[in-house]
Amino acid sequence: MNNLEKNPEENEVKSESLWSISFKRLRKNKTAIAGIIIIIVFTLIAVLAPYIAPYDPFNQNFIKSFRAPSSEHFLGTDEFGRDIFSRIIYGARISLQIGFIAVFIALIVGVALGLIAGYYGGWIDMGIMRIMDLMLSFPYILLALVIMSILGPGIYNAMIAIGIVYVPQYARIVRSSVLSIKKKEYVIAARALGANDSRIILKHVLLNSMAPIIIQTTLSIGRAIINAAGLSFLGLGAQPPTPEWGAMLSNGQDFLRNAPWIATFPGVAIALLVLGFNLVGDGLRDALDPRLHK
Amino acid sequence: MRRFLTVLLVVTLVLGTAGLVLAQDGDPEYGGTLIYAQGADADALDPHMTTLGNSADVIVNVFDGLVRFKPGTTEIEPALATDWEVSDDGLEYVFHLRKGVKFHDGTPFNAEAVVFDIERQLNSDHPYYLEGAYPYAGFSLGMIEKVEAVDEYTVKFTLENPYAPFLKNLAMFATMIASPEAVKKYGEDIFKHPVGTGPFKFVEWVRDDHITLEANEDYWDGRPYLDELIFTVIPNNQTRLLELEEGNIHVMEGLNPTDVERVIENDNLDLLEAPGLNIGYIALHNEKKPFDNKMVRKAMNYAINKEEICKYLMGGQATPAKGPLPPTIWAYDDSLEGYPYNPEKAKTLLKGAGYGDGFEFTLRTYSAPRAYNPVGSRLATAVQQYLSEVGIKANIEQLEWGTYIEEGKAGKHTAAFFGWIADNGDPDNFLNVFFNSANQGSTNRAFYSNPKVDKLLKQAQQITDEDKRERIYKEVQGIIVDDAPFVFLNHMKMQIPIRSNVKNYVLYPTNNKYFHKVWLDQ
Repeated sequence: MNNLEKNPEENEVKSESLWSISFKRLRKNKTAIAGIIIIIVFTLIAVLAPYIAPYDPFNQNFIKSFRAPSSEHFLGTDEFGRDIFSRIIYGARISLQIGFIAVFIALIVGVALGLIAGYYGGWIDMGIMRIMDLMLSFPYILLALVIMSILGPGIYNAMIAIGIVYVPQYARIVRSSVLSIKKKEYVIAARALGANDSRIILKHVLLNSMAPIIIQTTLSIGRAIINAAGLSFLGLGAQPPTPEWGAMLSNGQDFLRNAPWIATFPGVAIALLVLGFNLVGDGLRDALDPRLHK
Repeated sequence: MRRFLTVLLVVTLVLGTAGLVLAQDGDPEYGGTLIYAQGADADALDPHMTTLGNSADVIVNVFDGLVRFKPGTTEIEPALATDWEVSDDGLEYVFHLRKGVKFHDGTPFNAEAVVFDIERQLNSDHPYYLEGAYPYAGFSLGMIEKVEAVDEYTVKFTLENPYAPFLKNLAMFATMIASPEAVKKYGEDIFKHPVGTGPFKFVEWVRDDHITLEANEDYWDGRPYLDELIFTVIPNNQTRLLELEEGNIHVMEGLNPTDVERVIENDNLDLLEAPGLNIGYIALHNEKKPFDNKMVRKAMNYAINKEEICKYLMGGQATPAKGPLPPTIWAYDDSLEGYPYNPEKAKTLLKGAGYGDGFEFTLRTYSAPRAYNPVGSRLATAVQQYLSEVGIKANIEQLEWGTYIEEGKAGKHTAAFFGWIADNGDPDNFLNVFFNSANQGSTNRAFYSNPKVDKLLKQAQQITDEDKRERIYKEVQGIIVDDAPFVFLNHMKMQIPIRSNVKNYVLYPTNNKYFHKVWLDQ
């Protein structure tokens, strides 16, 4: 009896040390730190937008249209005479919001489905996972376009569409961890001790499949930002005059040769922020991979 | 001897130069393929089954009407009819048809063919009538009571009422004559198989890619100079211009205002320009709140700075509109003041209408540029900002063009951007199209209804004296500007960039692209 009780505790101690080892490894990873810094900087920009932005991002002033980057307009102005620097600063709010909300939707739904499918198995598993396979058989952007055509254009609908599209990734990852974890002795022990399904799922199974979920989340925030920019680029995401980066990029393509700064800087902003999330994601993958622990 | 040689040299030089000049600008050359790039594909190639400019541009090269526009004008000259008589009461038109003309499929052109083609649109008992398939028939042919073949080459139209612009309607793309045998052969698919009598024959249509036409060797008005004419689709304005600069296409539509300078500076390109017979406007749904209130509609007109939009956003290629008619059409009332930018007045009007705190509404827009609006949905963004300055919050909603037009006809919008290009050069083709209450559900997109305007419009159709018509149309313009069913926005200059080796290309006020007499200097 003693032995059986000890087992889960031992496991928790071990996992704590895994987290702390991972954190140390992450700290040593220079590229991951660079990623974290990028994310922090953009987050600060987003939070402090009204204090940093030199101009109103919506203010239209045709007399100042198509101004090249200068000391007055750091990144130039667009065809409406709006300050691009200020628009990019406000755009950071939107892009981060999209990244987090879309991934949060995918996370909640995907993890729940994956846990249920993996834990109960049988017909429930079959049903859920075949639907997930079906969704995965479409390219992300195509599926998002289909959902957008049902929901209608708009930034919140774009978050929902991207959230839905990302659900299967989480469901699959979680299901496969559940399948390996639920056969572990400590789970069997917990069941033998009379723990109910929800306690086992949440306390033992979910906690022990956190690592892949964290990696996936970091990587997919970056991808969600790109996909949302793509939807806005196609006119389905953010609606004018919202300073969303993808919409700004799309708008700027008409002036690529006369006023290249209109498209270039939003593009750079997207690339930088996504790079930040990808660097952190890669760093986390290395840090959390138990096979790399000595 | 030396003098003789000098004279000989000079003479040779002069003759030589003259010869060169002649070779350059003189005789048209036969042969070659011309590629014209449009921003969007055609939707139907049957003249009666579309109102879309991209379709009309193909149709006018494959089909002929009974009459046609003289190049570069909206004046009428004979085409498939050689001459005609109009009865004194203006109710009967008798056309004498051109003999020996054949459709591209070999079917002879005669009075029976004309009657067949008109009846298949108007007579719901006709075996080839298609329900709901003829969007322009009501406007262009709706006044016809009957059409009969008097003999093989004479056809008689009887009208319900006198209708002054009737001849002009018969020059429109929408009334051009299609082969009856082709209609019988293809049935509902006729929109994919255009068979006319025109200068070019249809070869193939690859959706969203290209439409190929070839020269009609037996054309009654002389074979076209070109061997082949291709309409290709390039959606992006900049890409299209790049292709023109590279010489991959010869003629294009849809020039960004910001690219005008580039075209002018390029020695290999020419920019053809003419004042456009068009208007861009916002249709305010006159039956829906808050636009059922005239003061709100006026406030909308005062709140938007059209001068700035034309000067900056449209690069100075447009002029602000004062009313519903373009300034270059006859019967335009130049004394109208319109609604010059005045945000203070707009605020006062809003207060008077009980909207002192402003209001919120959905403003619909299409995305891609159109001939009357070179900046597409950017126009909506600019308008939104002006409105916000007087306290009106416009939420922009962007729809795909097909849905946009369908819902616009049905009146599902509260306010939406539209535009119109003259199809026959008559003021009736603007005022009646926009404001006749009978056109609600098709072209009256403001759902404007004013019995007095309806009566005046009908009256103007039924008299032929242009002075009297002009007086009526001026009265109508006065009423319309005061009622402000639209926000009157702009008139866009017509601009077509071409390669310099494209010769004899003429701009038509209807904005249709005619290639019969165009040739390539190779």
